[in-house]
Amino acid sequence: MALNPFFLQGSSNEQYLVQDLINEQLKIYGIDVYYIPRKFIRTDDILREVETSKFDDNFIIEAYLDNYEGYAPGSDLMTKFGLRLKNEINLVISRERFEEFISPLMNGRQVGIDDGNITDYEVELTNRPKEGDLIYFPLGQRLFEIKRVEHEKPFYQLGKNYVYELQCELYEYENEDIDTSIEEIDRTVEDEGYITSLTLGGIGVTATATASIDTGIVSQIILNDDGAFYSSTPIVTIAASPTGNPSDNATAVAITTSVGGVRSVDSIRLTFGGRGYDISNPPLVTITGGNGTGAAATAVVADNGVNQFTITNAGENYFVEPVVTVVGVASTAAIARATFNPITGTVTGIQIVNSGFGYTEAPTVQISSGSTVSVGGTYVYGETVTGSLSGTTAEVRYYNLRTDLNVINPPGELRVAVNSGQFSAGEAIIGSASSATYILKSYDNDNYQESYDTYDNNEEFETEADQILDFTETNPFGEY
Amino acid sequence: MLGTYFYHEIIRKTIIGFGTLFNNIYIRHLNKDGSIADETKVGLSYGPTQKFLAKIQQQADLSKPIAITLPRMSFEMVALQYDPSRKTSVTQTFKACDSEGNIKKVYMPVPYNITFELSIYSKLNDDALQIVEQILPFFQPSFNLTIDLLDSIGEKKDIPIVMDSIDMQDDYEGDFNTRRALIYTLRFTAKTYMFGPIADSTDGLIRKVQTDLYADTNTQTAKREMRYTVVPDPIDAEPGDDFGFTELWEDFTDSKEYSPTQQTDI
Repeated sequence: MALNPFFLQGSSNEQYLVQDLINEQLKIYGIDVYYIPRKFIRTDDILREVETSKFDDNFIIEAYLDNYEGYAPGSDLMTKFGLRLKNEINLVISRERFEEFISPLMNGRQVGIDDGNITDYEVELTNRPKEGDLIYFPLGQRLFEIKRVEHEKPFYQLGKNYVYELQCELYEYENEDIDTSIEEIDRTVEDEGYITSLTLGGIGVTATATASIDTGIVSQIILNDDGAFYSSTPIVTIAASPTGNPSDNATAVAITTSVGGVRSVDSIRLTFGGRGYDISNPPLVTITGGNGTGAAATAVVADNGVNQFTITNAGENYFVEPVVTVVGVASTAAIARATFNPITGTVTGIQIVNSGFGYTEAPTVQISSGSTVSVGGTYVYGETVTGSLSGTTAEVRYYNLRTDLNVINPPGELRVAVNSGQFSAGEAIIGSASSATYILKSYDNDNYQESYDTYDNNEEFETEADQILDFTETNPFGEY
Repeated sequence: MLGTYFYHEIIRKTIIGFGTLFNNIYIRHLNKDGSIADETKVGLSYGPTQKFLAKIQQQADLSKPIAITLPRMSFEMVALQYDPSRKTSVTQTFKACDSEGNIKKVYMPVPYNITFELSIYSKLNDDALQIVEQILPFFQPSFNLTIDLLDSIGEKKDIPIVMDSIDMQDDYEGDFNTRRALIYTLRFTAKTYMFGPIADSTDGLIRKVQTDLYADTNTQTAKREMRYTVVPDPIDAEPGDDFGFTELWEDFTDSKEYSPTQQTDI
């Protein structure tokens, strides 16, 4: 039975009128929300999941909030995984407004992908709002994820549907890149997710040192056998100086190394070359302790070599070993290595690898500067920072100069998220937008615990376990 | 009747030991070109907590902008059970020194099994698989932890953590108003020990060992001919000291014997 041909069940003009009325009503009674489409960075076709997403577009659109009584009661749940919020909202948006305002812009992205101009992500379904996209709800300053799009409610009035109903629930965040350029939106995740802390050094101060020369000094220790199975650094003892004065006795330290889990002596460096030793009768060197066996070394005695370095200024911002250069006229130049404290960033000492010989006067000592890059600038929220050595990238969540710790040369406190790896002390951290650059003093890869969500107890377990656990070998699950 | 106060925090220590196995696990997400987009340390916590504490710690801002951050791991102790297979004599004791050198008497520990459930909650199956795959190879089916259960006497015990089962829940079916919930549950048994009260021992330290040697097995007629004596060096060394021993061998032809009661040769 066909319909009566003398009646219209909805003419185009009537449909336009209804759509216009709905659009107008939404503009009067609605609220502005931000529609944030999901971009598919990487998809697993086997497990059928979008593994990596980013949200860097935003479209403001009016929507009717169909939650006149607020969120459903009991929407915050206590679970074994901590607090979980289940706030839900239903938003009604105009179909026409979406198709005429958002779809063309999204289609432009699709064209770019098809032309090969956009290669780092994909977009799906540009002609309708889709599940998985985000809505920023300014009234509650919250991010919602669209769970379902209802497109047939009301049901074909005058033969057409005019609105989409977006059924949304609070977003489950997993360090996705949310960089919409609207600071209010981007800052919703300022304290959420995995946030790590970097302590940045201020302007470096170059360390200085002096050298003293003497006769009959132990100029170097030659390692004859590196030994094996040391569990701690063995003690090196050099026989007393023939002068009989204890202050003339040479001292040295062992440097160990581990290869294939076996720790052995790598080298022996002098901390003081002593004086008054007999060139033709070098002192005996003994290596004891450390729970290992086999290491043996002999001493070489020379005249007019460097027997000691004295630090006159420990410097600042040394997070990698500086280079020590001994400048002076000698038959053989002295070679030395610096020791430094990566926590304080200061040079702690200079050890003699070879004292050289034939100096007629004390040489000068040059220590490379703590940082070879010029530091300065202010990181901005959301910009990408890159580690100069590790190549690790991350997004800035917080930056502050700690003038409470040092007024003249304050260290920086930088918190970042969406890390691509681990940063390493001593590298420069460079901001992509601000060009701010500082040297990384220390890196804490535990989740920043003073953020709003303090669920993680990873660090607390590690600290407590250090008191009671005996990992004689190593913790196979990794140690901090 | 029981009444003697003691609390060694053994269950708490076992919880800490179990937790620290899983507190340094990372997952990665990749960019389209295969480079690393982000690397996340998986948050771990002991599940049970006070509700008000959870609220003020995890929702300090009442307008929390998101539902939850993922992935997360949580674990909890779900059962305690006596383990008869590791039973030892109930009256047997052993002695140990505390940090001050006092001798303590402790009854042999009682074997108990603590069942733990480790739950992994992730947004993606791939995340969960990354986590699970970093855990499973270390349990064949057990992994031994050495825990200082009684730190006052330095009593370290090997606690095998045995993996019992792995369950997974992936609620991807159903209407679209319900989210997919992806939870892996790994069940473990920690074979720990419960210690009773630590009592002071009236016994002193053994500071001298003396052995007499005879030329004949008939000790009724035979007389001691040699004596081996060992004392610590220095003689006042405490158990925690790094001490040596002084050994003494003596020959005798006087046909005497040692009297333990008179503590001299007669």
